[in-house]
Amino acid sequence: MVKVVTDSCSDITPQLARDLGITVVPLYVQFGNETYRDNVDLSTEEFYHKLKTSKIHPTTATVTPANFAQIFTTLGEETKEIVAITLSEKFSAIYATALQGKAMVEEDCRIEVIDSQAGAGAQMLLVIAAAKMAQSGANLEEIVESVKGAIPRVHIRMTFDTLEYLRRGGRVGKAQAFLGGLLKVNPVLGIKDGAAFPIARCRNRAQAMDFLVDFVKAFGRIEAVALEDATTPEELELLAQRLKDVVPAERAYRSKVSPVVGTHVGPHVLAVSVLEAE
Amino acid sequence: MKTDLANGQTLKEMFASGTAWLEKSAPDINAINVFPVPDGDTGTNMVLTMQFALQEAKSDSDSQASSVAKSLAHGALMGARGNSGVILSQFFRGLAKGLEGKADFDGGDFARALAGASQTAYKGIANPVEGTILTVLKDASKAAKEAAKDSHAMVTILEAAVKSAEESVARTPSLLPALRDAGVVDAGGQGLYVLLDGALQFLRGESQKIQYRRPRLVVAETEFVRRVAQMPARLEIPYGYCTNFVLEGRNLDSGKIEKSLKKKGQSLIVTGDDTLVRVHIHSFEPGEILKYATKLGRLHEITINNMDDQYAEFIKMQRERMPQVDIAVVTVATGDGFFELFHSLGNIIIVPGGQTMNPSVRELLQAVESAPSDNIILLPNNKNIVSAASQVGSLTSKKMKVIPTRNIPQGIAAFLAFGYDLNLEQNAKAMEKAVNRVKAIEVTRAVRDTRLDGLEIKKGQFIAILNDEDLIGRAGKVREAILDALGKAGAEKAGIISVYYGAEIKGAEAQEIAKEVRDRYKAEVEVVHSGQPHYHYIISLE
Repeated sequence: MVKVVTDSCSDITPQLARDLGITVVPLYVQFGNETYRDNVDLSTEEFYHKLKTSKIHPTTATVTPANFAQIFTTLGEETKEIVAITLSEKFSAIYATALQGKAMVEEDCRIEVIDSQAGAGAQMLLVIAAAKMAQSGANLEEIVESVKGAIPRVHIRMTFDTLEYLRRGGRVGKAQAFLGGLLKVNPVLGIKDGAAFPIARCRNRAQAMDFLVDFVKAFGRIEAVALEDATTPEELELLAQRLKDVVPAERAYRSKVSPVVGTHVGPHVLAVSVLEAE
Repeated sequence: MKTDLANGQTLKEMFASGTAWLEKSAPDINAINVFPVPDGDTGTNMVLTMQFALQEAKSDSDSQASSVAKSLAHGALMGARGNSGVILSQFFRGLAKGLEGKADFDGGDFARALAGASQTAYKGIANPVEGTILTVLKDASKAAKEAAKDSHAMVTILEAAVKSAEESVARTPSLLPALRDAGVVDAGGQGLYVLLDGALQFLRGESQKIQYRRPRLVVAETEFVRRVAQMPARLEIPYGYCTNFVLEGRNLDSGKIEKSLKKKGQSLIVTGDDTLVRVHIHSFEPGEILKYATKLGRLHEITINNMDDQYAEFIKMQRERMPQVDIAVVTVATGDGFFELFHSLGNIIIVPGGQTMNPSVRELLQAVESAPSDNIILLPNNKNIVSAASQVGSLTSKKMKVIPTRNIPQGIAAFLAFGYDLNLEQNAKAMEKAVNRVKAIEVTRAVRDTRLDGLEIKKGQFIAILNDEDLIGRAGKVREAILDALGKAGAEKAGIISVYYGAEIKGAEAQEIAKEVRDRYKAEVEVVHSGQPHYHYIISLE
């Protein structure tokens, strides 16, 4: 069976990873000298608590090629086919790292590394789709073709109450058009060509929620959605309620942004991702 | 303080070097020319003026400093072109006066002459404006005077002047709003700085470097985030004709000439002596000006330029330099706070205007034409401007959508709804939808006793109008008028209440009213300075 690998920026919950047999490679969050493995040594809740109380602003770090090589090698003992789906290379070096790791593997094992050109829930939906195909017996070529074909069909919308975290992390991209406004707004961003992209400015959180709901409703046929929050589970619940007639619960995956993603999006992010049906 | 003396030859070479340096900078200077008329010719005008000055100095075989200075002044006066050229000629006139009777001069003499040049330049202008070449000249001469306390070496004095000129150029946008709005430094000031810098290079023995290098534009002290798309449409139009000539006669009285011409046009400059007077004026009827002048003497060097043509050229040049965007937004607003607010929300071209000062179809058209895109969204922000805005569509070849915003809050809501991933039609739809979610209350003071919607209004009372139509509040105090209006406008259903306070209102007062609104309603309340002259308060409910 093809093994599916991804990084922790896909925000896949440990439960889901176990159920679907997905290997999640954790990136690192660093508070000064303290280093934590994303979602392994540090949960989202612990992370935001630390963010509030720590004087040091966290930074994030990718893994080494050797880490990847080791993971590929270990998996290579069980399978001869691996697909790794990474965070957009516009956000991180993880894609390049995975490729380097692949080159270091000596085992007779075919490995394909795919840049998801996305992150968070959007990346998650691609990984889930790949894992489900693997479970149903698809081979490596079929999975790679399907994932690459699905990339243009995943869409993410995230709303923030500040873009300060994104700006500070240097990942604001074209969304810098939304910086510096003299009115308080809740910006909504998407990802376009693998990078953050400005979508809309809502006047308050309620309007931003409406925007996310309308965004999902505008699709004709939806294969799956991912819904994420950081520190506001009650909002996520509300969002899920409003979408329950649009997408059945079993195809609406709920999660929290991981600490690494959280470092760059801040505590009040709310995200919906949609995988359009073919 | 004994130093080497400079003679007329040195003076000639200094300004020849300065002019060569200026020539290289002329295209850049042209491109930043926005004041008083954005016709993009300041650099060219200054160079042409200097060429005349040098020609005259060259044909002067006398090497006495006083003689060369006089030739430069005379040549500059004969050749002066445009506002900056005329001011430059004044500069040389003052310089010549300061060097009068001197065969040689040192840095101390030069510093004194510069101070005189600055004074002469100010005197020659009917209405001196700060943030222009005049300010740069004044600052440079001050620095020279200061430096002359310690040294009389020419290099030291000119170094101080050049350094100060550069700093002064960088400050011009903070002195002159037209520059700040355009995101540029003053063109004439930049020209003077380059001229003096070129002269300094000669004194340092570095003038051969001029061949290989190019002067750079001074960078403004304040950062301009959004230079693009803000450039045009800020000045009154049409411009008429720029008229220049030299009047030769006897017993000419430049004071009297200035007085007579003052009401005939703008940007008037009259300089010279009793036998030779240069006139520069912007007027709609250049014939009238010439008719008047021919009565006083003989005219030379007559040039009449149509500034509208020049403006069109300038806009074309600006467009070529501006990066194009997919869709450009043009809006109408008044008040520095609203200008700033709109600019902070993204690239937008603002045509000044609003209640009681509606921009013409032509002004709107000009803004649309100058916008760096072929797809335009126009937000008129006033019900009286909506029809003018609609006419622009048939006059421009660009694709344009007018969102009929009737007040500024609607305009802001529309602009906020601008989607970077949407096309023109989709954006128009999204913006119209956003506009419909906004209610606006405009609060002003009644200027006379009147009746409105069947209600008595006394002069001095505050009245609140909902969506430019219904009188929904009146009271002696602004606070009561606002609270009254909010109740009637359904503020309890609003999610956000924005309080934009006008030019006459203090921030503290607005904050106090906002606090009361917060206590009464569940909405988020935001307070923003609008600088609006007409409405004391504009309040939006969303």
